[in-house]
Amino acid sequence: MRKVTLLTLALTPLLALPASAQSGTGTIKIGAITSVTGRFAEFGKMQLAGFKVGVAEVNRKGGIGGRKIELIIEDNASDVNKGLAAAERLVNAGVPLVLNEYSSSLVKAQAQYLARQKVPNLVITSSGDDITKPGSDYIFRLNQPATEYARVILNIFRDNKFKSMAIIAGTGAFEKSVADAAQDFAKLYNITIVEDQRYDKGLTDFRPVLNRIKAKNPDGILMVSYAEDSVALMRQAREVGVKPRLFAGGAAGFALPDFIKDSGSAGESVITATAWVPQLRYAGVQKLNVDLKTALGGQEPSYHAAQAYAGVIVAAEAIRKAGSTDREKVKAALNAINMTTAFGPVQFKDYDGFRNQNPLAMVAQQVQGGVFVPIYPKSVVPRPIKFER
Amino acid sequence: MDSASVTAFFQTLVQGLLTGGLYALIGTGLSLIFGVMKVINFAHGDFLAIGMFITLALFKAFHIDPYLSLLVVAPAGFALGFVIQRFVLARLGDRLGEGSMLATLGLGLIVSNTLLLTFGAQPQSINVPYATSTFQFAGVQVSVSLLVAGLGTLVAIVGLNLLLYRTELGRAIRATAQNPLGAELQGVKTTQIQAIVFGLGVAFAAIAGVLLMPLLYTFPTVGENYTTKAFIVTVLGGLGNLPGAVAGGLVLGVIESLGAFYISNNYRDAYGLIAFLLVLLLRPEGLFGKTVKRV
Repeated sequence: MRKVTLLTLALTPLLALPASAQSGTGTIKIGAITSVTGRFAEFGKMQLAGFKVGVAEVNRKGGIGGRKIELIIEDNASDVNKGLAAAERLVNAGVPLVLNEYSSSLVKAQAQYLARQKVPNLVITSSGDDITKPGSDYIFRLNQPATEYARVILNIFRDNKFKSMAIIAGTGAFEKSVADAAQDFAKLYNITIVEDQRYDKGLTDFRPVLNRIKAKNPDGILMVSYAEDSVALMRQAREVGVKPRLFAGGAAGFALPDFIKDSGSAGESVITATAWVPQLRYAGVQKLNVDLKTALGGQEPSYHAAQAYAGVIVAAEAIRKAGSTDREKVKAALNAINMTTAFGPVQFKDYDGFRNQNPLAMVAQQVQGGVFVPIYPKSVVPRPIKFER
Repeated sequence: MDSASVTAFFQTLVQGLLTGGLYALIGTGLSLIFGVMKVINFAHGDFLAIGMFITLALFKAFHIDPYLSLLVVAPAGFALGFVIQRFVLARLGDRLGEGSMLATLGLGLIVSNTLLLTFGAQPQSINVPYATSTFQFAGVQVSVSLLVAGLGTLVAIVGLNLLLYRTELGRAIRATAQNPLGAELQGVKTTQIQAIVFGLGVAFAAIAGVLLMPLLYTFPTVGENYTTKAFIVTVLGGLGNLPGAVAGGLVLGVIESLGAFYISNNYRDAYGLIAFLLVLLLRPEGLFGKTVKRV
């Protein structure tokens, strides 16, 4: 085995063909789009770390059939048009599959373009429901859709006998998906929605909305905001003096370590939905957390990093199963995937109107004493929830 | 109305007035520059962003309290404005308004992109202990930072009025606004005065940036929002009309807050813009004064 690898490595420079050379020998190049620069760069940084850890693990275990893998990472600069250009470059580079990243508004455009070009793409972080609903044969998603963000929070509300709640949500694709799903769950669980306020990007004064909500005194408040608004929202909520039993954030900015740092005491006891925590009990979770932290130079990884890692592992597995880098064969292999990663179990199913969607539940955590602690579901050995009143 | 809704009304009103005070401060700088030089400063919001970022940098590097950084930001803003007028805008000569309009647009782009290169695109905020401090006054919760911002606005505007109406420099500024040629003939160094005025306008924007920092977050293109707000404020009050700009700011703040509270938050920006359109249609000279008073 070793001999073969060495021989392959030695021959690689001789046999390497231009960009299209995906068959035969040499490294297997997989495409990835993320936001290396621009306003989503914070998430991009997390994903680059996840990619690095994933590629290192696959190659350490012998790569795919003895061939090493390599990612071609294209930057979409947090911009739709640049994202499409990035996708086009990957299509032309002849990659068998593309890992597709963070912002729902960007990912949807990239995913649809790639699907039209018949390139399988594996969405790893973006959660807007409409990416896999109705979806396409070529779009696969391993992370949870927006609906699940709403479900986990509403489950906590239901379990604690909340009777009323308010929603504040941005008008972006992800925010809208979560808020709309929350509406549906509230109906199902018999929780009255006393306010549902949506706001456009750029709004920075939430006081009037919070005053309105304060007057109705709901049991819970769900905030699905643009990343940067999470701190402003919580500061103003404390300032206005609105006091529900729980403040809940629908991931995005609320789940980042920076949220705790910047909001300080205002962020205390806020609960948030999140896709992954190191306390989950899948094989390899602890090791992954340590590896990601090392790759980030000591910074605490967020779930985005774990998703990027899982993306690489699943992509490599699909190519291995396909036995080829042919796009159609890789697509068929993705359809048949059934594996467990340190991020969670992965298989792509059609259900509830979703297509090729990994049915995975979310986790919830709460800021307690300035750190995130898991509070839901039972499998994470939850801490008791602290209520505002 | 029961007592809870009365309290909610007053709370919204007070918050609207205090937010409006900040709009007034931003609008005053824009209006002052227009009043004296007939230049519409499209970089106004970007100068505000500079104030925010200097505050952020001082806080991150030396842990300097945002309000203390006013001592650095205000003079720095003044110096920046002075230099820009003296060495950029004044050199455009007596050409039509387009020259200065394009120049300020370009300056705004330079500022926002420099901030982008230096600080990165991600939103940043600072966490001060008093960020969420409040006190109760007759049942109304008032934010300390927002109140300081309102008081800061008051001090800055009263100071500007004293400067304009109680000093020799103020007289020269008013003379330059009324008739630059006449003022020049009376021995007023109008180029110097114009540079001072632009410096004051930029300093006002930068001060507003400092006062906003404990309340909000910042990012390099944050200025765009505030340039728009400043336009609405000055048009509501009448371009170049300083008391009008103050009133325009307060009106905008209250309209936005009450509209968001009583109607719906979804159309918050629309309330200000509707008021803006109505004024343009019905009273193009502004809400206040029959004619456009200059400074």
